[in-house]
Amino acid sequence: MRAQDLAQLSTRAFKTNPMRTWLTILGMGVGTGAVVVLVGLGFGLQEIILEQIVFGETLLSLGVSATGAQNLQLTSQTVIEFEENEHVLDAAPLARFPALVTYKGLTGNLFVQGVEPPYIRYAGVIAANGEVFGDEDMDNTNEIMLSPAVLKLFGIEDDEITNFIGEKVKFRLLVPADDGSDQIDEIFIDKEYSVKGITKEAGVLNALMMLPELRNHVGIEEYERIQVRVDTNEFLPIVENELIEAGYRVTALSKTVEQATKIFQGVQVVLATFGGIALLVSAIGMFNTMTVTLLERTKEIGIMRTIGAAPIDIKWLFVSESIVVGFLGGISGIIMGVGLGTVINLMLNFAASQFGGESVNLFAFPLNFLVFIALFSAGVGYLTGIFPAKRAATLNPLDAIRYE
Amino acid sequence: MAKPLIVCRDLDIIYNKGKSNEFKALQGASTDIYEGEYIILFGASGSGKSTLMYSIQGSLPPGNGTMLIEGEDIYALPIEDRVYFQRYVMGIIFQQFNLIPSLTVLDNVALPMIFANKDKATRNRRAQSLLDRFGVGHVSHKITPMLSGGQQQRVSVARSMINDPRILLADEPTGNLDSVSTQQVMDKIDEINTFDRRTVIMVSHNAAHLSYAHRVYYLKDGVIVREVVNPQRKQIKPVKEGETIVTELEQLARLFPYDSIDTLRVKSLVNLLTQDYTFDQIERMERVVEFFIMGKIDKEAFIRTLMMPYERGGVGIPEREARRMSKVSARILHQADDIRRFRKQNDKQNAFFDQHKLSERLRDHLLKAHSLKLSKKQDNNLVEIIADRVVGVSNEDIFHERMENGISTGGLALTESESDDLARYFEKLIAQGVDVSYKT
Repeated sequence: MRAQDLAQLSTRAFKTNPMRTWLTILGMGVGTGAVVVLVGLGFGLQEIILEQIVFGETLLSLGVSATGAQNLQLTSQTVIEFEENEHVLDAAPLARFPALVTYKGLTGNLFVQGVEPPYIRYAGVIAANGEVFGDEDMDNTNEIMLSPAVLKLFGIEDDEITNFIGEKVKFRLLVPADDGSDQIDEIFIDKEYSVKGITKEAGVLNALMMLPELRNHVGIEEYERIQVRVDTNEFLPIVENELIEAGYRVTALSKTVEQATKIFQGVQVVLATFGGIALLVSAIGMFNTMTVTLLERTKEIGIMRTIGAAPIDIKWLFVSESIVVGFLGGISGIIMGVGLGTVINLMLNFAASQFGGESVNLFAFPLNFLVFIALFSAGVGYLTGIFPAKRAATLNPLDAIRYE
Repeated sequence: MAKPLIVCRDLDIIYNKGKSNEFKALQGASTDIYEGEYIILFGASGSGKSTLMYSIQGSLPPGNGTMLIEGEDIYALPIEDRVYFQRYVMGIIFQQFNLIPSLTVLDNVALPMIFANKDKATRNRRAQSLLDRFGVGHVSHKITPMLSGGQQQRVSVARSMINDPRILLADEPTGNLDSVSTQQVMDKIDEINTFDRRTVIMVSHNAAHLSYAHRVYYLKDGVIVREVVNPQRKQIKPVKEGETIVTELEQLARLFPYDSIDTLRVKSLVNLLTQDYTFDQIERMERVVEFFIMGKIDKEAFIRTLMMPYERGGVGIPEREARRMSKVSARILHQADDIRRFRKQNDKQNAFFDQHKLSERLRDHLLKAHSLKLSKKQDNNLVEIIADRVVGVSNEDIFHERMENGISTGGLALTESESDDLARYFEKLIAQGVDVSYKT
């Protein structure tokens, strides 16, 4: 039988029994729709988390700090040593001093961190408000970034944060005296810095300043932390091990991401299981329909067999019908699932914009996943069709033709 | 000598073998069917005639025996290869038409070609031309449930011929058709046999169809009880001289298809004892009488045909006898008209007077035909008796009984033989004059 004839013959049910056919498709659709929505929720959640932390360079960076145990210090020399490693592209240091910050007469404690622009990239610092330091800011001597907690310190409400950009603050650095005593020198920086942006670091009181500017006011001998940028992903664990063996403490964001991904894969499995149950129910329903269709068509099968249809023709008629039904079920499921997810996203975003929150996409539907679902449901169709089809093919034509 | 197209040897077919409802549908059936033959498998229901046909068709594997089609043992082939025969060698039509209701007429006819991988243009062209040939080309785009039975059967004849098979199998093709459609379908099948030279194997229990066939296989209880050659058709199967001779029994078999060979022998002898005429003459006489009753020929033509020698298409009856026959027939037909009028009046339920008059006339006919003279009282009684019989109040037995009854009790007091003659004659009138419609 030719493919187009097969298609025509096996889609007759849409004409002869449209109600039942479409209901079957709808049944399959609801099942696959459930899978699409639930797995889409998994993807959405994962993306929400990863969006916050994943940047290409951030993932390829290692945060190195001294353990203190082996008298290791992070100095300018260390930075150079790190950069000499053949798999290391760059190393960016962070220097940190406790300081007092003053804003409109209010004073509080925080840490002033001096970094170079690459560090910002490697560490994945992003701005919740205002702007983040870029490469052109190397010589920026007038601006700083603050962590959100600092604003709380000054009693700035959430809805006033945007107004805070451009405000002026002053610092007094608290530096240990270089005479070896426990005394702390207070270095007063007699200039006002304007706030360039607010970071997303939660729970810490930090101010970010360009390292050269910090150096203008205080001598830096030791760094708190160095971000090492590894050239490619595959060398990440190698470099990490080398550093750990050298006695440093190393944190890798990629690890965190990996763990997050693993967790979300687990979440997705759970969600997909629930969806899968729905899909199973609808597949059983479809199987049932195919069996009923077989009974209904028994006579027709007998007729076709006696006028020259081969058993394999009969089998293909049934299989292709169920593949078509399964595939259309999958497509309608995708439409329903994606539709529902999008509507929920829109509602959440609308609600978020009403209450001043940040817009999020709770559901995400990667194209690969949707293609997979469409093929998968065609596969489910094939499986539900194959057994009735085999039975139809092996029916004795005479028994079939006399079946009423 | 040509080889037979279909050879079936010692075929046993048992349904539900080994179960409590085991049923031997066919036992030891052997047939040779030659290319171009018209074969009828004849028998009552349950005789195994359809079983034999479907076994030829390839759907009923035999328990024992072989089935050769074109010299190939089809049941030795795997099922996928057997499809070849169903697709290209045989076409089939059914009593129930078995068209697929969700397809158009054209697609139904083209369906076997779809399975044979033919492209759409080719098969539509061929299907349409076949539909045109069988007189249903104008409905090719309708769906089949919209067609009459006769149309559906002609569509299925077209379907059976689409792949140009050598054999046409027909399973009681006229069983669901009215007489007009039956004639059309039978003519088409005959045309396929005589014009297209296709082998036709038809299952039937209708004796009227037997004259189409070259040979008839009679089946009873799963056994082929006899094979009868139709002497009116030139045989295709090579007949060895002296092996089969055409006897009167073959002729009788067509007249009395359900009787056993022994009954036919009895009939043959009884015919000799009771009748002056042969079965051939009787058969021909029946046709002439039919024409006469239908009014297609007049009395003179009737006499001439009866008198004409048998070899020239007549019945071959002596003139005196022929004239007597025509006189009696004409009289009975004429008087039967009075019965008809009487019944018509009866339907209207009025004009009793007319009925009485008609009854009197019938009485006079009857007495005249039998040269009887009755008393006035007897005359009146006879009018009553006739009226009751024609209306249907009394049956033949009561009619007969009243003839013999005493005059005072409303009878005629005739002798038994007089009553017999009168009753018999009057029943002939009633048979001609009463419209028989089996309405409930």
